[in-house]
Amino acid sequence: MAEVRALVLTGFGLNCDWETAHILTLAGARAERGHLNQLICGAKTLRDYHIFVIGGGFSWADDHGAGVILAMRLKHRLRDEILTFVENGGLVLGICNGFQVLVNTGLLPGFEPGRLSRQVALIDNDCGRFRDQWVHCVFEASSPCVFTRGLTAMDLPVRHGEGKFFAEPGILDRLERNRQVVVRYAFADGRPAGGAFPENPNGSLHDIAGICDATGRIFGLMPHPEAFHHWTNHPDWTWEKERYRRAGLPFPEEGAGLRLFRNAVDYVREQGAR
Amino acid sequence: MAVRLEIALKPHLFDAEGSELCRKIRDYFGWDVGRARVIRVITLETSLSPDELEAIRTEIFTNPVSQVSSFRPLASGDDFQWAIWVGYRPGVRDTAGSVALEAIADFLRRPLGKDDAAYTSKIFLLYDAPLQRAQVDTIARELLANDIIQQWRIYAREEWDAEEGIGLICPKVALRHRPTVEKIAIGSDEELKALSDARNLALNPRDIPVIRRYFLRPDVLQQRARVGLDLPTDVELETIGQARSDHCNHNTFRGRFHYKDVDTGRETVVDNLFKTCIEAPTLAVQARKDWVVSVLWDNAGAARFDNDHLYVITGETHNSPSTMEAYGGALTGIVGVYRDPMGTGKGSRLIAGLYGYCVGPRDYAGPLRPHLHPRRLLDGVVEGVRDGGNKHGVPTVFGNLFYHPSYLGKCLVFVAALGIMPRHIQGEPAEKKKPEPGDLIVMAGGRVGKDGIHGVTASSQSYSEQTPAGHVQIGDPYTQKKMHDFLLEARDEGLITFITDNGGGGLSSSVGESAHLAGGAHVELDRVPLKYEGLDVWEIWVSESQERMTVAVRPENLDRFMTLAALHEVECTVIGRYEDTGKLHLTYQGKTCAYLDLSFFREDFPQWEFQAHWRSPESRGLTEPVMSEPEDYGRLLADLLASPNLCSREWIQRQYDHEVQGTSVVKFLVGRCRDVPNDAAVLRPVLTSRRGLAVTQALHPPYGLIDTYHMVEASIDECVRRLLAVGGLLDEIGGVDNFCWPSIQYDEHKNPDGRYKAAQLVRANWALKDMCLAYGIPLLSGKDSMYVDGHLPGTYGERHKVSGLPTMLFTATTVVEDITRCLTMDVKMPGDWVYVLGETRHEMGGSEYYEKFGYVGVTVPKADPAAFLGLYQAVEAAVREGLLASCRAVGRGGLAVHGALKALAGNLGMHWDLGAVPVSGKMSPAVLLFSESLGRFLVTVAPERREAFEAHFKGWPVGLLGRVTEDPVFVVRDGSGREILRESLETLGRSYRGGS
Repeated sequence: MAEVRALVLTGFGLNCDWETAHILTLAGARAERGHLNQLICGAKTLRDYHIFVIGGGFSWADDHGAGVILAMRLKHRLRDEILTFVENGGLVLGICNGFQVLVNTGLLPGFEPGRLSRQVALIDNDCGRFRDQWVHCVFEASSPCVFTRGLTAMDLPVRHGEGKFFAEPGILDRLERNRQVVVRYAFADGRPAGGAFPENPNGSLHDIAGICDATGRIFGLMPHPEAFHHWTNHPDWTWEKERYRRAGLPFPEEGAGLRLFRNAVDYVREQGAR
Repeated sequence: MAVRLEIALKPHLFDAEGSELCRKIRDYFGWDVGRARVIRVITLETSLSPDELEAIRTEIFTNPVSQVSSFRPLASGDDFQWAIWVGYRPGVRDTAGSVALEAIADFLRRPLGKDDAAYTSKIFLLYDAPLQRAQVDTIARELLANDIIQQWRIYAREEWDAEEGIGLICPKVALRHRPTVEKIAIGSDEELKALSDARNLALNPRDIPVIRRYFLRPDVLQQRARVGLDLPTDVELETIGQARSDHCNHNTFRGRFHYKDVDTGRETVVDNLFKTCIEAPTLAVQARKDWVVSVLWDNAGAARFDNDHLYVITGETHNSPSTMEAYGGALTGIVGVYRDPMGTGKGSRLIAGLYGYCVGPRDYAGPLRPHLHPRRLLDGVVEGVRDGGNKHGVPTVFGNLFYHPSYLGKCLVFVAALGIMPRHIQGEPAEKKKPEPGDLIVMAGGRVGKDGIHGVTASSQSYSEQTPAGHVQIGDPYTQKKMHDFLLEARDEGLITFITDNGGGGLSSSVGESAHLAGGAHVELDRVPLKYEGLDVWEIWVSESQERMTVAVRPENLDRFMTLAALHEVECTVIGRYEDTGKLHLTYQGKTCAYLDLSFFREDFPQWEFQAHWRSPESRGLTEPVMSEPEDYGRLLADLLASPNLCSREWIQRQYDHEVQGTSVVKFLVGRCRDVPNDAAVLRPVLTSRRGLAVTQALHPPYGLIDTYHMVEASIDECVRRLLAVGGLLDEIGGVDNFCWPSIQYDEHKNPDGRYKAAQLVRANWALKDMCLAYGIPLLSGKDSMYVDGHLPGTYGERHKVSGLPTMLFTATTVVEDITRCLTMDVKMPGDWVYVLGETRHEMGGSEYYEKFGYVGVTVPKADPAAFLGLYQAVEAAVREGLLASCRAVGRGGLAVHGALKALAGNLGMHWDLGAVPVSGKMSPAVLLFSESLGRFLVTVAPERREAFEAHFKGWPVGLLGRVTEDPVFVVRDGSGREILRESLETLGRSYRGGS
């Protein structure tokens, strides 16, 4: 089987790189961590990878807007390389700070592939503070997003201060029409949160937690799927353990977040890894 | 040319920061402000062309979707009532400003000029704000700004100039000063003492004769003459003052204590608390535990995590700076303690942070006026640690908050850090490091300014418009995170032979101490990169500017080291070289400004001496209170759960990223609502391993009101039980002691109870030694912070000395063999059996229960490690065998409080029968419910494991208290079967969650 290669971006205050590389490895990819300046100086090139992940963190301290300066650097230094990567079928995933970067580069929502235009924003949480909490996520079944194929719902943590999804009504309509709204904040029963706090932790319009581009190969979300790589990451796991034990069932091993990465790896394999 | 760029959210977007400001104005002052909006200001002093300025406005600083911006004022003055501008004073670290410059240079693809600058500030516009100017000034002074680091201006609507706005404010540091090196006259002890006072050198009077003798020695004079020196220079005396300070040298803990038990008249001399109570027991334990790898010398202690990894841990405090500037002080504290693991061995990767805050009552309304009200101080401290930890990418996994009015004088901010490193780096043990003669001295990270010079003593000096506010700093986690990532790569390539951090004392401390390991050092101080010109040479040497590490690099590795630094965009400068001269040799522009024998620092400086007088609690007049049993236990329990020191602190922990790095196994807050503190947090620092690392903390200052010996006993015993409760190994517990104590030097007028406080310190240390030996706990690290005293103004212009309660925070870690065996404290299933393990005694002294009624009492909880240890081993085995469904170490508040918390966390009820509680003697229900006896656990057991559980604990004090119920009610019956407490979880939960 061909090797699926993934690059996790590092440097300038990005974090989450170790666990993102770990979950990609669990999903079957060969994952590497690579510094932004290695891409810029050509020591590494996206041509060698199938999956490019910009993970969580505080790039440039998030001063002047979360993800803004990293987005600018990517756009000005790596614009063509990234666009070619996407055009050639590469997958781009932005998580938290990475999602903020993708919307600030204009890779998302990417209504017209190949054109970079800022149409949506991730702004201060309505509560005015950084929050670390677990949320219920529901996925859009008819979305073109390749990362979320077959997924319906999972719990994931959010950890951000600027995660409120905002766009003007026309843009929101277009996103909804195109099924580009991939993941929403929800109640435990799967109903969208309808703006209710803390189920919708930041006041995102339409409860939007993540969107993809028109091709479905660029995906950004605020929750952290890489932080749910093992079942013991979930806040309720010791409770679930008692249920498994008493039912005589073996403990699970994986965390639900792994499915999203496995989807990505499987997609690359289906397409025939270069 | 200077321009001012203003950026704001588009008017139709909800302004969360403005809304949070309105909430705080209501919370702090009770005033209603309808609405507030925030304008971000970047004042640029650059040579950019108008086209370039326009380009960076639209391309970098304005989000077209959500923001508007202009080089003209955004506020028209038509609608707001008040505008408040807040900006930094000169020299205060403005990370956003330097990031703006980085971004501009990157966008323009050219470096900016040396004098180009960017300053960030904010304008707050208040709408529907029927306030007087004095009220707006209060909002600025007591909520938005701190005059130590910030300046502000207030504009009423009618004063607003819509053309000029706030004008152009550039807080540039301008020091019109030529750097000098001064000679210090040492004609007599008195002369040197006077100079030391005048120059704020803080030389200890007892050290002065030793210092003079050295500089007057003929051989020293002769050697100095050869490098052009005669009298000591200011650089040299600063170096000595720093090296001999209590902060760096721990003179108090290394002092000689004349301890006298006043009741019996018995006298004992305790020579060196550090050696006898910290070092000796730790070495004794290390001798029989091979997992204790590196202790007592490095920036943090190192212990074996598994065969391939070491974990490192240390704890610090940042009390004085946080008292003056809560946000900056706490931020600098957490970012600072993170440099300790980075500078341990050849460097470790950060894996966790912890916090502990001791502050005055949040609703304090008394006559004393601390610099910051406790409410604002706590908010600031919480936010400082939040930004420091979150932006560093390190999970903040556990913490404490303790309110007491004694901390009004000075708050305590504890910060602790854990790191991990491979056992070997390029074949060499990772914990070992040593600079060799010939190695280059590299300063990595930030630049040097007047920051932190002479610590907080500078805070009493007056300010001018262009004076840097140096003594209080604002840490910069962004710069440090870049450096962290860079240093780990350099370490893994074997480029680092020695590394340490620049904290207190700056280069003077980091180079000075490492010079001893190499056998000498020569530093060219003119090579040190500065934030701005005009620093004196001694200032460069002792500046505590943050985010810097000192690294020893072999000359042949320098190119590779600098290449990696450039990749990570971390500033690194070679500032000198280690030598084998036996000298600390400093030069500035080729001229020697310090030439000190390293042997001088090891000379026989006089030991500090303390009188310590102890009187037993009874002879101090403490007695048990006279009060009858209450009738309404339910309401009492609910009120206890609402008390400031027991109620929910979810609002703090929720702001901390506690899951970054993907290592979270047991979170600090657990339960269905995820808001009840668990006994300990468990991490999985190596994601491919099943092993875990458990960490917890405890502190019990109220017990110290009776006897600090038992205060320390309680904290250590509780930590041990808490680690067992999550499934930790009893045999691999390591500890960190953080002492915060008021001044113990007796002075008839300034410190009349100094001798008692000194005795309290001795007794606390005796308990530390006894407990560590009894439980086999090595002290992996520790720190002491003395002088927890403040002098607060009162109503009539008088000042009151307020001394903090003697406080010792104990932090403990241990290894978990298999994370899937971990437990949490929440009850799991209806029908599970509830047991109490360990004996309950009448130990109400210093309890939360007594405190509720304003009593202290005298029957303080005591540890009996010999008796407890067997039960603890049984608990450890029970967890390993999976006999328990939940486990809780019973602590503050006693069985009732911890039972209620277990129920609240599990969202299930419980029925208890107090007749089953193992006791010695006869006890009232209040004692059974609220006594804080050590050595106890509350556990729940699945029905199918009841038999195995009871067999396992046969012979130990164990009582079947009752059962977990579906019905969400906590019901307690006394020994006779009478129902004495019935309270719904809803009521208990409302109490617990209602306070903040």
